[in-house]
Amino acid sequence: MLKGLDCHIREREVVCVIGPSGSGKSTFLRCMNGLETITSGSIVINKHRLDDSKSDINLVRQEAGMVFQHFNLFPHLSVIDNVMLAPLKVAKTSKAEARAKAETLLAKVGLEKKMNAFPGNLSGGQMQRVAIARALAMNPKIMLFDEPTSALDPEIVGEVLAVMKDLANEGMTMVVVTHEMGFAREVADRVLFMDEGLIVEEGTPEQIFSAPQNARTQGFLSKVL
Amino acid sequence: MAAGSALGVLLYLGKAGRVKLVSILCTCYIEAIRNTPLLVQLYLIYFALPSLGINLNPIWAALIGLTLNNAAYTAEIYRAGFESVPKGLREAGKALGMKPAQIVRYIILTPATRNVFPALTNQLILLFLASSIGSIISLPELTNAIMTVSNTTYRTIEVLTVGGLLYLGVSALMSLASKRAETTLFRWAVGTHV
Amino acid sequence: MFRAFDWQDLIPLLKGAWLTIQLCAVSGVLGIIFGVILGVARTSPSKIARWISTIYITCVRGIPILVIIFFIFFGVPLLFPGLELDKFVSAVIALTCFAAAYVAEIVRGSIESVPKGQSEAAEALGLNYWLKLRYVILPQATKIMVPPGVGFIIGLVKDSSLVTVTGLIELTHAGNIVTNLTGDPIKTFLVVAVMYFVICYGVSLLGRLYEKRTGIHVDPLKLPETAGV
Repeated sequence: MLKGLDCHIREREVVCVIGPSGSGKSTFLRCMNGLETITSGSIVINKHRLDDSKSDINLVRQEAGMVFQHFNLFPHLSVIDNVMLAPLKVAKTSKAEARAKAETLLAKVGLEKKMNAFPGNLSGGQMQRVAIARALAMNPKIMLFDEPTSALDPEIVGEVLAVMKDLANEGMTMVVVTHEMGFAREVADRVLFMDEGLIVEEGTPEQIFSAPQNARTQGFLSKVL
Repeated sequence: MAAGSALGVLLYLGKAGRVKLVSILCTCYIEAIRNTPLLVQLYLIYFALPSLGINLNPIWAALIGLTLNNAAYTAEIYRAGFESVPKGLREAGKALGMKPAQIVRYIILTPATRNVFPALTNQLILLFLASSIGSIISLPELTNAIMTVSNTTYRTIEVLTVGGLLYLGVSALMSLASKRAETTLFRWAVGTHV
Repeated sequence: MFRAFDWQDLIPLLKGAWLTIQLCAVSGVLGIIFGVILGVARTSPSKIARWISTIYITCVRGIPILVIIFFIFFGVPLLFPGLELDKFVSAVIALTCFAAAYVAEIVRGSIESVPKGQSEAAEALGLNYWLKLRYVILPQATKIMVPPGVGFIIGLVKDSSLVTVTGLIELTHAGNIVTNLTGDPIKTFLVVAVMYFVICYGVSLLGRLYEKRTGIHVDPLKLPETAGV
């Protein structure tokens, strides 16, 4: 349950959201592409308003790509079909174009050899990288990551974080809910600490990690770091 | 007409379920019943037995037929129930030194029943509806009443509608009652799944 | 007056069995088509679709199939005077109406079994309801539907025996006729029972083959079972 947030995310900015479980971090993220509905206030992504019943939610969702904690790849489709599905059916790109884009993206995340494999045969890290490629295939303006590495074995976390780092360096606007403090410190432009449905403190990684102002932030960080 | 529906209700109340049994004979019995229509089973009992010297009136024939039929399906439901109880519970019972029969009675039976309760009550409702087939062997139950009344009054549509609504009403009530029963009987399990 | 049960009596029984198979095949296919439509309506975001399908399903499943058969066979000609319904057609209509409701519940169960994350991932990519249903949800739901679907077909075969009240000469009715000719109900109906058994068991074997090939196994607790109808 979110109690009242005010947040502005600039283009090319990487924002990491940290906080204890139940703090509303995921809910906050999911409001941004309409997976959770808001009861008051407004959300605007790239000039599309989410709270306006007249606007087509699916248009907004094309601007925001999402990567889930449990990957949610489509098990009945091969890797490349997973990536091509939305461009083909939603953006209505031609098959050749979609395929070319999919192959490029899969190469980018290092999985071009697994194009025709099925999700059931992939490791968690591979699945998550496919999920990233799938979200990127729609040319989103912003990428939303909901605890992308929480369900992965520790050895595999690195390969996914590497892809995310590259993405950040290329200038993608990202909002990442994560427990990986190292990633947040290295890559984030801004860190939000959330607790009990509110943004308790926000600032640059240096500010938050080295000199947290709020008592709750300090408490959380001392347990986690 | 009232007698017709009363008898239908009595019939399905008189049924007993059967707990899972082990042996080839039982499997054959269960498979035979489940792969043949109830009507044919009733025919066999009602028409065939007299030639062996046993004369049955429709009520007894239907009672026996429905009971035997229901037992087979109930046995399968219980089998699923027993298999759904986690192995760990059985092992805990063994570790405590209980005999197999005791384990079944005290540890397995209740969680198994809780898990299959929806299926069991569903079976009851189906049994109620299946009693209508008894009408074909002239059992004086609701469907039979429907046909008799419509033959005498020639108002088939109305009679069918009323009869249909009666069935619908009772089965709806049974559905609600079973949901209520589930939460009351198994209060310890609300919110969990054994 | 009665002659003994003889091999030649097998012929009308086999003819009856064949008619039963045809009846079930047609009603089965139609029932599946309408059942899928109903099942999708039952789970759709549209309130009207949900309402109508739920009402239909609840009504049909709350009434004995025999009553439905009576309604179609006796009632429809009364509602539409002058409309002559062929016995086979009215049997198919009755069985299809019944089957559709049953299949709809199976479809609903399978759609609801597809993990919610799949739906969310599809939505996050911008797929609208119909695209999501067609490319993500239904392909996965269809695989789940098969084992209970097999059970439904077996139930349909057994339910078809009730069509005997319309006079259609399917297997059970053929059994009646032969009994009247031979005066030997035991042998006749045992043969009838065996024939039903062969058909039903055959279908369940096919189902088990499918399960082995695709590795799908469904928790029997979640399925609606048919009683001995």
